[in-house]
Amino acid sequence: MTTTPATDVRPTLQGRRSPYIFEDWDARIFRVNREVFRSDEVFARERSRLWDRLWLYLGHETEVPKAGDFKQRTLAGRPLIFCRDANGQVRAYLNSCPHRGTILCRETEGNAKTYQCFYHAWTFANTGELVGIPDPGAYPPERGFAAQMGLREVPRYENYRGFVFVSFSVSGPSLREHLADARDYIDLMADHSEQGLEAIPGTHLYGIRGNWKLAVENAMDGYHFSPTHVTFVEYLKTTGYVTSDEGGLAVTLDNGHSVLVFSGHGGRVGMQWEPRFGEAERLQVEENVRTLTARIGKERADRVSHTSRILYVFPNLLLFDIEGLAARQLEPTAPAYTEVRAWELAPAGEPAEERALRIKILGSFIGPGGLATPDDVEAYECVQRGVVATAGDPRPEVDWSDISRGMERESRGEPARNVDEAGIRGFWRHWDRLISAP
Amino acid sequence: MTPVTRAQVEDFLFHEAALLDEWRLDDWYALFEEGATYEVPTTDRPDADPEKAQFYVSDDYELLGARVKRLKSKHAHAENPHSRTRRLITNVRVGQPADSSLPVYAAFLIYKIRDGNVDSFVGRYEHTLALGDRLRFRKRRAVLELEVLRPGGRLSFIL
Repeated sequence: MTTTPATDVRPTLQGRRSPYIFEDWDARIFRVNREVFRSDEVFARERSRLWDRLWLYLGHETEVPKAGDFKQRTLAGRPLIFCRDANGQVRAYLNSCPHRGTILCRETEGNAKTYQCFYHAWTFANTGELVGIPDPGAYPPERGFAAQMGLREVPRYENYRGFVFVSFSVSGPSLREHLADARDYIDLMADHSEQGLEAIPGTHLYGIRGNWKLAVENAMDGYHFSPTHVTFVEYLKTTGYVTSDEGGLAVTLDNGHSVLVFSGHGGRVGMQWEPRFGEAERLQVEENVRTLTARIGKERADRVSHTSRILYVFPNLLLFDIEGLAARQLEPTAPAYTEVRAWELAPAGEPAEERALRIKILGSFIGPGGLATPDDVEAYECVQRGVVATAGDPRPEVDWSDISRGMERESRGEPARNVDEAGIRGFWRHWDRLISAP
Repeated sequence: MTPVTRAQVEDFLFHEAALLDEWRLDDWYALFEEGATYEVPTTDRPDADPEKAQFYVSDDYELLGARVKRLKSKHAHAENPHSRTRRLITNVRVGQPADSSLPVYAAFLIYKIRDGNVDSFVGRYEHTLALGDRLRFRKRRAVLELEVLRPGGRLSFIL
């Protein structure tokens, strides 16, 4: 919905930083104007300044394991073909016939040597070349017509350890520069197995009636875990699971990324045993950790195996390295609507019993049918419905959400805890830098 | 053993639908034999095996019990207050019994109403019933025909 523009909001608070963010370290106050969740104008600005410019997570290369495999995927509103070509190279094409713009590939996934547009039967190799036009004599071959009309790739494409990113901008920092210190946390995930990770079949595809940034806030918010997921925690307790928030940190990284680290969070399939995993898995975990230690050394193996993390990669990716491994992609379609796609990842080549356990354990927690994620969805949707109440309120202090938790501790020089809101503040600062700049 | 008729299977499925629409979850859980499972595959892998693929729901008997316990709690926020649901179960077919198991198939259309939204979930059941003095679920599998769980992206209720 459209409401009073945020620029017309005049907070009584001093030290306003932008129309959207207020940050005052003397008062230890950080607030976000709720217009960011409602406004069509903000949404359009995000589309042009974030989604059309930055590196976006497309998918994991193992989703298209064999030459010719393809999947349709819409990213930043643009329909794409995510595929592996005949030479084994992973690619991302615009799913739009270069001829007249028709959706070229209409199967959601499959395997194909060529893509043929049904409209005028132009045919393209999965390596991109235009290989067939009915009645080609109408286009003089000496003019090089076919060579100009191959499949359009995304402007930029890069792969970091199997995680494929694309950018709709022809220029800008490299993917490595964009990921910066987030790379270390991706490495910790990728290091689970010498053979790398693979995406398990079966994608969670769901829509939420909420702004995409609410999903980011929720994932970088350890504060909500106990009250929101009380029923899940009660279930875990019945299985002999012990958890603690002690020692957990929130780490703000450059370029808008952030990570929550959980050290008192037990139970990681394949890496850290807990009673609900069963006795067979206990032995498998011991063997896995031995192998891991031999491969990457004890210090790093301890990090890989015994801490859980949730990494947010600005703007559209959340990586969960918790009971299991998962990637969640956010695709905003409107200020109050977001499509979510989520894949479970696993060490390639792990034993079948461990794979089955991994799927079961992670599935009990996350996803639209899990015992926890539906309550997160309820939270996004209730915030989206609730922030309408304060829209256009004549009192200038009312239409702001508070994200101040932990500033007092941080101002004493103590590290940010994952049950505080430092990770969320880091996100908002970066978002604001990109959105509020002239 | 007297063959089970389609009418008996329909009575069982209609009774189950009523229990779920009335949120009588303990009575519903009692329709499962010990060791039974409840599965909802993802929309892109409707035929998958829950040991090899990610599912929306893949509960063993114990986890299903935990799901029921959770949904009865006022802290199951996604369903507090409960959604209104109405299940239309139709096109019931009965397969060939083997040992003590009976495959049954049905179409479902479930309306879920909450917070001003009416969401519909359409799909098919591919259950295995346990034959005995009364019918029970051995495997209860709900397969969505939807391409995406859109827009009501949560299976916080029983599908």
